[in-house]
Amino acid sequence: MMDVGRHPRIKLLAYSEVEEVSGYVGNFRVKVRKKARYVDEEECTACGDCVDVCPVIMPDEYQMGLSSRRAIYIPFPQAVPSSYTINIEECLGVQPIACGKCAEKCDKGCIDFDMKDEIVELEVGTIIVAVGMEVYDPTLLDEYGYTRFENVITTLEFERLVDSGGPLGGRFARPTDGRVPKRIGFIQCVGSRTERRGNSYCSNICCMNTVKDSLLLRDHYPEIDITVFYLDMRAFGKGFEDLYKRSKDAGVRYVRGLPGEVKEDPETRNLLVTVENTTAGRLEEHELDMLVLSVGLEPREDSKTVQQLLSLSRTSDGFFLESHPKLKPVDTPTRGVFLAGCAEGPKDIKESVTQASAAAARAQIILNQDKIPIEAITPMIDLDLCNFCGRCARVCPYGAIVDVDPKRKVSPRVIEAACAGCGTCSAECPVGAITQRHFGDEQFFAQLEAMLGEGPEEKIVVFACHWCSYPGGDMAGVSRLQYPPSARVIRTMCSGRTGERLILRAFALGAPMVLVSGCHFADCHYINANRWTQRRVERLWDRLERAGIRPERLQLEWISAAEGQKFARVMGELEEMRKKVTPEEIEYTKQVLAEKA
Amino acid sequence: MAEEAEFKCLRCGHEFIAPYDKENPQEHTCPKCRSNSVRRIKT
Repeated sequence: MMDVGRHPRIKLLAYSEVEEVSGYVGNFRVKVRKKARYVDEEECTACGDCVDVCPVIMPDEYQMGLSSRRAIYIPFPQAVPSSYTINIEECLGVQPIACGKCAEKCDKGCIDFDMKDEIVELEVGTIIVAVGMEVYDPTLLDEYGYTRFENVITTLEFERLVDSGGPLGGRFARPTDGRVPKRIGFIQCVGSRTERRGNSYCSNICCMNTVKDSLLLRDHYPEIDITVFYLDMRAFGKGFEDLYKRSKDAGVRYVRGLPGEVKEDPETRNLLVTVENTTAGRLEEHELDMLVLSVGLEPREDSKTVQQLLSLSRTSDGFFLESHPKLKPVDTPTRGVFLAGCAEGPKDIKESVTQASAAAARAQIILNQDKIPIEAITPMIDLDLCNFCGRCARVCPYGAIVDVDPKRKVSPRVIEAACAGCGTCSAECPVGAITQRHFGDEQFFAQLEAMLGEGPEEKIVVFACHWCSYPGGDMAGVSRLQYPPSARVIRTMCSGRTGERLILRAFALGAPMVLVSGCHFADCHYINANRWTQRRVERLWDRLERAGIRPERLQLEWISAAEGQKFARVMGELEEMRKKVTPEEIEYTKQVLAEKA
Repeated sequence: MAEEAEFKCLRCGHEFIAPYDKENPQEHTCPKCRSNSVRRIKT
């Protein structure tokens, strides 16, 4: 951090918040609110004289509330810049000044109660999102007694207690009586790998953190008896298994099974832990002086704000979604925005550093280019046809269509560097003024005419997205799964490209069934383009029904690249439905659509 | 609390109630046949 703070080409805006991001790759404009510290950070030498006189005592967040700080404080000892900050909510009052002792004491006159938030505007070419994560709050898991028993603490609290810079100066002791515990237990997977309370995913770091903590305790306090309660230890990194073995060899006891109940002895304040040891196949009771809950990691609460600021996607567990899990693990769907660290998912320091290095390198590639190559799948707008309705701009997940103004009849303009080529604008344009390069209506019509030229009543037209459903069909094939040969697949970049015109043309050419398929909502490679697919299909169901056509003939399915089995099952079900579509029905559909054309 | 709506599966015909948010569309799955061709019944 010190190096970052001193680097001549790094501008560090601490105690600041991003309020607005506009523009696109190579041309982002970022508006940042630099919050008022009420202390001149350039002049402050962090002498600490102001702290000595501040009368306000508050729990210290960095020390997990285990010690206190003043209303004027440095968030943590290594903070950069090393300058004090006044929490104005906690200060006794500045309008008018109610106390002012810190200002009186500061010889350099660094304290300025009139300081205001400052808006800083930056122009940047790329953005790296490294917002980190939060730690699971175990107050919901009442069976472990975190809210009831003082000697039940979390791993973060444990870290502060053993830290030489912590509230106890590194002399580890239990909270109730200040003596060194004789028996200490760790409970793994608190808030992780559970559907009931907490999160279903593995938090990745907790097992090795406990192994590290156990060795640290063994080193400093060899007399402490350590027991770890676990589901299964996940020591998958380089050297991790050795560390785990070292911990076991050092006498740390590992009990497979998570405690069902924790009680407290009111006299000794010791904890009685009941656990089913699934290795030994017996119920055990352990008396411990202290219990440490190995809490998992969660996405930050404000992830949604960051998501909206940068047009990003998030997975169902709330972490930011990478552009491709294998080939673009640090890229995001928004070109020029990269991910590093736990913003993308729980990970340890080594992985975070690796990812941060990769993100920096990816950003450098863009910054070192004069021109950015883009795929030739961006939209072209026929301004003679455009009616300036602005729908294209509204549906674009990337904000890549700008300038359009229905009132003043200003034409839309495509920022091709920002466009990712989902084709949703083309599908949603009510007058067909937008053509996606290489995925134009005429090209799809030609494919439909070719596949439905002969025996259309025996075919099922499948529109499958490039990223998920089409590979899902591939997966069914390479897995040698059987599915009916009636499927005729047309690839679109995104299901968002499958417009009404394409679907209706398929029916008009005699298709008995049409399937629109795309990525699951959480996996959409174009942020949220498949939400527009769902809305459009819902709209079409109504329209078909009004025209006397059974809406069941248009089907919708979300199929991931790994769901080959689902693809095969769906095709089997659709084949059964196809057989029930009568020639009269097909003829009627063709007739109705021909009249409407 | 999320609003709920009645849905009909366009594959098996099963009708069911599920959370519904007009502003933030959800991925709906028929609890009977697992199909995503689920249509909201408008009353």
